[in-house]
Amino acid sequence: MKILFDLDGTITAQETLPVIAQHFRVEDKITELTQQTVQGNVPFIESFIRRVNILGNLPVSEISNLLVKVPLYPKLYAFIQQHKDDCIVVTGNLSCWCKGLEEKLQCKTYCSEAEVVDDRVVKLKTILRKEQIVDLYKAQGEQVVFVGDGNNDLEAMRHADISIATGLTHNPARSLYAICDYIIFNEQALCRQLNQLL
Amino acid sequence: MSSIKSVVISCAGIGSRLGLGLTKALVKINGCSLISLQLEMFKDVEDLRIVVGFQANDIIEEVMKYRQDVTFIFNHRYFETKTGASFYLGARHANEYILEWDGDLLVHPDDVRTILEQEGEFICYADKSSEEAVFVKTDEHGNVLEFSRECGDYEWTGPACLCKDHLVYCSNNVYNMFEPFLPMRGIKVRAYDIDTYQDYMRVSEIVKNWKL
Repeated sequence: MKILFDLDGTITAQETLPVIAQHFRVEDKITELTQQTVQGNVPFIESFIRRVNILGNLPVSEISNLLVKVPLYPKLYAFIQQHKDDCIVVTGNLSCWCKGLEEKLQCKTYCSEAEVVDDRVVKLKTILRKEQIVDLYKAQGEQVVFVGDGNNDLEAMRHADISIATGLTHNPARSLYAICDYIIFNEQALCRQLNQLL
Repeated sequence: MSSIKSVVISCAGIGSRLGLGLTKALVKINGCSLISLQLEMFKDVEDLRIVVGFQANDIIEEVMKYRQDVTFIFNHRYFETKTGASFYLGARHANEYILEWDGDLLVHPDDVRTILEQEGEFICYADKSSEEAVFVKTDEHGNVLEFSRECGDYEWTGPACLCKDHLVYCSNNVYNMFEPFLPMRGIKVRAYDIDTYQDYMRVSEIVKNWKL
């Protein structure tokens, strides 16, 4: 069994993009876009390209260092640490921005990719489609659990054997209600369910 | 015992026979929603699982007023399946022993405490009070021998407790899931389910005297 996690608002106790936006004082542009994306009103890929255009000229190393400081849900973090080989993070965020977080989580992480020159994003190379990672592990014969909260987790949840919508940081996107197996709003209950699944 | 036994409350159905235009979990009993009464009775149960379907959003919203650490399970096929499917979905990733509890069932609080303390598998039944009930036939020790649509010693009301090793998918009624394992230990309780408007009025009166 492999447990795939969305990152923002699922493992992190805050959405990461608003943190970046606030730090670099571009929150007006980012906050509304993030809210609209989480609620499913702006398609994820369009939103992501627009976000990268806004944030791409900011120093990559500084963003990575900033994201390391974003608080994680402690019980969930401990669960991931105990089950490193079975836990996988799947995030649409850029790998260059998540480098520090990835090292902190110490588990396999899949991200979107960008070309970085002189500590700046110069070109978006790939946008992660989370359902492809679900399919990848299913093709290896694994039973796949997907844990997420946003509209951009919808297809991954649909492809997964078991899907858990979480409402730890904010309510899960309503679109997930139509397809998910579980909805859990509490970190302890989530960890209990994950332990029951293993 | 409450901390290691999972409790699955099935609230996915449409409650069509009741005729109040609400799923039964949201029906008000003397000013309190049915689900809030159940939440009070299960306040010491760690792994409380609620299966939702019809009016899922409204049930989740109501439950969250009282408790946040509930695991909600979706039965997306609530219209074409019965309580067996909801129990299976609620129980398949739960603890070793799972107590099934219909969302329209109220049990006397003293009996709830007794039920939660029981070990192993068992089936609860009550004195006969309904014409369209499913009945249970018992032996001299109260063990359940058979379920019957025609006749029996008591009325099947639930709850019932099953070991996860015995859990098999069933789209039919939850009691059908227990039939392969009969005879099974029986426990007589003061239990009332709310299927019709008459049931609703009767239970509203009975509950007035309960101390939760």
